[in-house]
Parts: sequence; C-alpha cells; structure tokens
Amino acid sequence: MPIIDVKHIAYDYENRDEEGREISYRALDDVTMEVQEGDFIAVLGHNGSGKSTFAKHLNALLVPSEGTVYICGMDTADSGSVPDIRESAGMVFQNPDNQMVASVVDEEVGFGPENIGVPTPEIWKRVEVALEAVGMYAYKDSSPTRLSGGQKQRVAIAGILAMNPKCIIADEPTAMLDPKGRADVINVLHRLNEDQNVTVILITHNMEEVTDADRVFVMEGGKVVLHGTPEEVFSEVEVMQKLRLDVPEVTKLAFELKKRGLPVRDGILTREELVKELKRIHGTYNA
Amino acid sequence: MFKDITLGQYYPADSVIHRLDPRVKLLGTLVYIASLFIGKTFFTFIPISVFLVAVIILSKVPVSFILRGIKPIIPLLIISVIFNLILTPGDSVIVHFWIITINWEGVWLAVFIAARLAYLVAGSSILTLTTTPTRLTDGMEKGLRFLKPLKVPVHEMAMMMSIALRFIPILTEETDKIKKAQMARGADFESGNIMKRVKAMIPLLVPLFVSAFRRANDLATAMEARCYSGGDGRTKMKPLMYTVHDFIAYGIIGAYLASVIVMRVFGL
Repeated sequence: MPIIDVKHIAYDYENRDEEGREISYRALDDVTMEVQEGDFIAVLGHNGSGKSTFAKHLNALLVPSEGTVYICGMDTADSGSVPDIRESAGMVFQNPDNQMVASVVDEEVGFGPENIGVPTPEIWKRVEVALEAVGMYAYKDSSPTRLSGGQKQRVAIAGILAMNPKCIIADEPTAMLDPKGRADVINVLHRLNEDQNVTVILITHNMEEVTDADRVFVMEGGKVVLHGTPEEVFSEVEVMQKLRLDVPEVTKLAFELKKRGLPVRDGILTREELVKELKRIHGTYNA
Repeated sequence: MFKDITLGQYYPADSVIHRLDPRVKLLGTLVYIASLFIGKTFFTFIPISVFLVAVIILSKVPVSFILRGIKPIIPLLIISVIFNLILTPGDSVIVHFWIITINWEGVWLAVFIAARLAYLVAGSSILTLTTTPTRLTDGMEKGLRFLKPLKVPVHEMAMMMSIALRFIPILTEETDKIKKAQMARGADFESGNIMKRVKAMIPLLVPLFVSAFRRANDLATAMEARCYSGGDGRTKMKPLMYTVHDFIAYGIIGAYLASVIVMRVFGL
C-alpha cells in the first residue's frame, strides 16, 4: 500500500473581488501521485505553480475540491481521521519564526507530543531522541530567537519527528536560509530518510536540492508536467528551460555538448559524472 | 525603545525564588499588592519592606535591575506627588501663595501614594524577573483551573499569553527593521512636536500590523498541522508539582498577610 496516494485531485481557491463577486481560481488540476514508504520525493516548481497548495493537502490542512488524498490509507476528507493523518504526516513550513510556539527549544519540540496526549516521561524521551537526530541537543535550553535560521528549521523538524511520523512534508524549508543552513537542513532530511526510513516530501524551487531525491515531480500551473528520477527529469533540458526552471550547470553543459555532436549520455547531474563520461568518450575516440 | 522596561523581563539565576512553583509566586504577588492597599499608615511599610527586601535578597536579582524597573514610572510618580500636594484639603498649612496651598496632609499623602506606587512596581517585577513566561502561563492555567466550569477559557487564555510573549522579541526586531526601511526613504521619527511624532508612527504601525496578522495566520496553520486542538486531551511536558518549599512559602505568605491585616485592625 502506498503511504501517500493522491488520485486526480483539483483544488479551487474561492475568493471575492472588489465588487464582492465570487471568483474561483484553480490552483491544482488533476494531480496524481503515489509515494511508497521510505521514498525521498522532491516537488519542484515556481511560485504559483501550486506546489504549496499541494503540500497542504498532504496534511489535511486543505481538502481537495475533486479527487481524493489517502495518507496511510486514510481519506483526508474524513474529518474523523484528521488527527491521525496529522500525526503520521508532519509538516515543516517555510518561515522558521512563524511556526514556533514555545520560548525554549525543548518545549517547542515537546509541543506536538503534548497535543496528542503522550505521557510526560515519554515526551522527554522523544524530545531527546528527536533533538539528537537533528543535531540540536546541545541547544535544548536555548531560546529559539537566539538560533540561526538553519538551526530553527532543524528544531522545527525535530518538533515533527517527536510525533513519530511516517512521513515529513517540508514546504520550502530552505527558502529563507543562507547556503550553510540550507545544506544542514537538506542533510538532516536525507539522514532521517536513510537511517529511520522516514518518507520525505521536499517542496522546493532549488535545483541543487533535488538531485539526490528518489523521484522528482515538476509542477507548473497546478499540474504535474514532468516526473521521474532526477536523471530522467533533468534530461529534459529543453522542457525545463521552457518552464523557466534551471537545470544544474553540468547538466546544461552536457546537453550543449550533445547538441554539438558529442555522444554524451543523458541525465548527468554531477561534475564527477561528466568527467567520467568525457573520459569514456575520449577513450573511444583514441581507440 | 523597549530597553528600559524590566516588567515582563526574565533574569536567569538559580535561587529559591526562581525554583518556587509559579502558582505560589502568583498568589504571593497578589497578596503583596493587596497588602499595599490594606496598609493605611507608615507603620505597615515595616512588614512590607521586610518582606520585599527578603524576597529580593533571596531571588539574587541585582537591586539595580529592580530600580531600573521603577524608572519608567517616575513621570507618573511626579504627577501624582504634585496633585496630592496641591489638591489635598487640610488645615495645617505650610505655604500659601496665590491659589496654591500646601499643607501637611498633602505632603503626607503625596509621600504615601508615591511609596505605594514604587513598592507596587518593584514587587510585581520580581514575579516576572524570576519566572520564565512559560512557567508563568502554566501557573496561571493551573491556578485558575477552578474557573473552567464557569466556561472561562483558561487554557486558551494562557496559550494566547505565552504566544504573545514569544512574539515580543520577533515583533520588536521587525519594528526596528520597518523603522530603518522608512527612515531610508526619508521618514522622520525624531523631530517635531508630539502630534507630528505620533503621526510619523502611522507608516510604522500599519506594516507592523499587517505582518503580525500574517504571522498569526502562519502560526495557526503550523499549530493545527501539529495536532493542536485546544486544552482537552493534552499532556504536559513540564507539569507543575508542589514541593516542600512551596508549602513553606504558602505559610510565609499567609503569615505576612495576617500581620498586615492585624496592623490595620489595630490602627497601626
């Protein structure tokens, strides 16, 4: 059974214009996605591509206008299972300051377990384990205001982790961070995915964060326009450029070389891969 | 702008007062404030002073810190002294010129009220100086739980208070940022008369409010995503539990209140 099963969902934002007429705007259109437990999924798209709206559906913060979303077999439209859905699919948001409730780091991490009624000694254990897992245990008595953006985001991830989720949805967690904080947060997500088999859905517009994912979904105008492994997706250099999405520099270089006639293979994502490929081609020419 | 306000600030230290249960400290503060208004003569300031000084020494909070808390209310003190001096009716006139009469009753009342105010601020600042905001709201939540059957949303009020306290530093920083951004575009916050300065605050407050609402919306979403659904069925990571010290403190507070009441009854 897939842990996340999204079937042909659409979502309409209802709004009123200045004269009070109802206007609706379709933010998601026929999105389908299946995620297996332990996957690391990246959802890529521009502002306004519908990726954040999509993320909110995975945590039952929004319920689709059409179609259904199943999280661990539970329908998000069924309000009775919403607490269970939120327990198994935790969500990390973009702004680190706006998602922190408590004035001390350990209380912040304990907030989720408190909400679901975990007994006190067990909360302490979970908080400790979660803070260790994100490498923030040394800061457990600090005030969140004294932490850097990357550290705050790691605390936010620990806050989700303390609820023992099967799945973490990270909605542009690095958008407001410096490069160092960005790398730290992405590393923590990968480590949790590998060590604890937590399913990760990473929503982002940053190409570099996508290359290590198991699968990538590219969204544009509320639709999934491309999906596959990072190699498959970045092979579509022209499609990506048409979507004004950047591909890694090396991939672009490999693509240009291929266009000029070099038999470079598709889906090169790292410098090492390109060097290896060029050496191979060089070898065949000499032979 | 907010540097001088010690009311609401926490002074980290390891002392008996810091470790007391917040419920004890809340009740203690209430009793202390009440005692200031029970007292009608200068003699009552003897037990009150003993109590206040003892608590300050035990709390290990530097006296200068507490005095700094009195600084912002000095204008208020001066106004109250002036009004009491000239407006108190009495016969024992000291000075009389033009339409102003100063008599002994006025002097007595002015000093008495000023002392009351200063003691009030100094004493109540101890509460927040020795208690973290979280423990304070926890204490309020648990201490006021008896109001819950009356449909008073005790948990929600405590939660709102702790979130408000959590966002004070963030909004202060934001105010500073907006102020600098407006100044970079030629806004002037420093010169002009009061009316002009108040008007200059508008371009500061509007973006601040907008951003505060946006933050509130974000936070509500994040809390909902973490299964928050009000106080029912919630457990506590750091539940409040009374220790021997707390019961001793209750005893001392009771004895203190009794002594002040006895003095009042005997007209001292």
